[in-house]
Amino acid sequence: MPQVISIQPVTRIEGQARIDIHLDDAGQVADARLAIDALRGFEQFVIGRPAEEIPRIVSRICGICPWMHHLAAAKAIDCCFAATPPPAGQLLRELCHVLAHIHDKILHFFFLAAPDFIFEPNSDYSVRNLMGLVQRQPELAAEVVRMRQLGLAMLERIAGKATHPVAAVVGGFAKPMTEQERQGLLADGRVLLDFACRALDAAKKQVFVRFAEEETALGAIRTGFLGTVDDQGNLRFYQGRLRLMRPGGDTIDFAPSDYDRYLAERTEPWSTAKMVYARAWNEGFSLDLEAPRGVYRVNTLARINVCDRIATPLAQAELEAFRARFGRPAQGALLAHWARLIELVYACERVLELLADQRIAEPLVRTPAEPRAGRGCGQVEAPRGTLIHDFTTDDNGCIVRANLIVGTTHNIAPMNMSVHRAASTLIDGGRVDAALLNRIEMAVRAYDP
Amino acid sequence: MCLAIPMQVVALDGGSDETLDPQVALVESDGVRKAIRLEMADRLPTVGEYVIIHAGFAIRTLTAEEAEYNLELMRKMVDMLDPDGGPAGAVR
Repeated sequence: MPQVISIQPVTRIEGQARIDIHLDDAGQVADARLAIDALRGFEQFVIGRPAEEIPRIVSRICGICPWMHHLAAAKAIDCCFAATPPPAGQLLRELCHVLAHIHDKILHFFFLAAPDFIFEPNSDYSVRNLMGLVQRQPELAAEVVRMRQLGLAMLERIAGKATHPVAAVVGGFAKPMTEQERQGLLADGRVLLDFACRALDAAKKQVFVRFAEEETALGAIRTGFLGTVDDQGNLRFYQGRLRLMRPGGDTIDFAPSDYDRYLAERTEPWSTAKMVYARAWNEGFSLDLEAPRGVYRVNTLARINVCDRIATPLAQAELEAFRARFGRPAQGALLAHWARLIELVYACERVLELLADQRIAEPLVRTPAEPRAGRGCGQVEAPRGTLIHDFTTDDNGCIVRANLIVGTTHNIAPMNMSVHRAASTLIDGGRVDAALLNRIEMAVRAYDP
Repeated sequence: MCLAIPMQVVALDGGSDETLDPQVALVESDGVRKAIRLEMADRLPTVGEYVIIHAGFAIRTLTAEEAEYNLELMRKMVDMLDPDGGPAGAVR
């Protein structure tokens, strides 16, 4: 008889994600769904509040990625109040943003993803987890922890010791950087870059060699991609235009504030979370594995696919090697891990670039801003994908309308396809065991939801 | 979007060896105690403090005062939800 197999919660991913696999009478996969927690109510909650409070409030509620929300909100409120931060304010904000990316990528790759590939998927979970990694490679594990702490310490020196970020203020940044701080941070940035390059080399030898075999086991999906690039098509995390790429590689670029002309949001009866699809393709929405419509992915692999190039040399060399091997766009879901480490190299190089720009230590970090009526759209690339904050203010500078699209929301549709594909490829005749279910979770973990 | 609900540390465990037996925090949810690894936290919590957990790791430690402020914000957010907005709890 038909049955439903539930995996809940998904072991090493955020929140209370649940996977339901529906089997038919013959034990074959009829359907598979991933439901993920969604925050409801934030958009209503902020109505009537002074806009300048939002960057501080959102980082307390969305505390998994506090810097991403803090900065997206600050950028949006800048636009509402028509305030343009001075160069030092912009550079300091971007530096904090890139450092926050660095420690998130280190956590995700080494602690959540790598154990899947360093150990056999059918080995005991208690061995396969981080403790197994620590026992097998104690020096690597210790260095990973040290590097993540170094990134956090750098962030504290720039933005102050605050559990929740408060340094981005409307019109710029709260505190200037001294020349002495700049020099010290440059030295630490070089340590991070050296680690990132070694980490990528080690991953190629120990982790990525397993990808071809695992991708075959999981089966493939084919979707479009969304990410941020600058006017020359370079990969960008903090500022730029959005680029939507079709599965075949054609792209359209648009201003982040036009997101609702190119993307559309919808809800499905089986999920409380919103889903987003590509309105610009005029094909509607479907999760059909053979003929999906409107589905695109965001985050590491998406960004690596949509950019024409990376403006820093070491990451660019890695991008070229990646493209020569996997093409553009690369579709393999697990390649998101490889892309994550290319982005880690870029982020470390970008830290050095930002610190080498003397304007970052200029004393003027903020321009005055007056509350006023306006609309502002603040967008950044968060570790989990394109993050959009869209606010409208009244004459007193209080919020009258709010809409947020977070990285994972874009990815709910393709994650559902990946789960469905993996379940269909792996399950035959209703036979299911722990190793098989872990493989299905691996497909989800690649998205870093 | 993902909520960062602070979880209170009810006990600390381990710590005999930095690498092989690192300290873990025990948190309680729905009566179930769960060990949370602390390697990725910005600082080690004391009993009574709170941690924000991502994928099974504590990523940030909050004082009780900071955590209560955040929880109060989240409670207010739940109160703003209209009755048709979904099941109680703002989540899911």
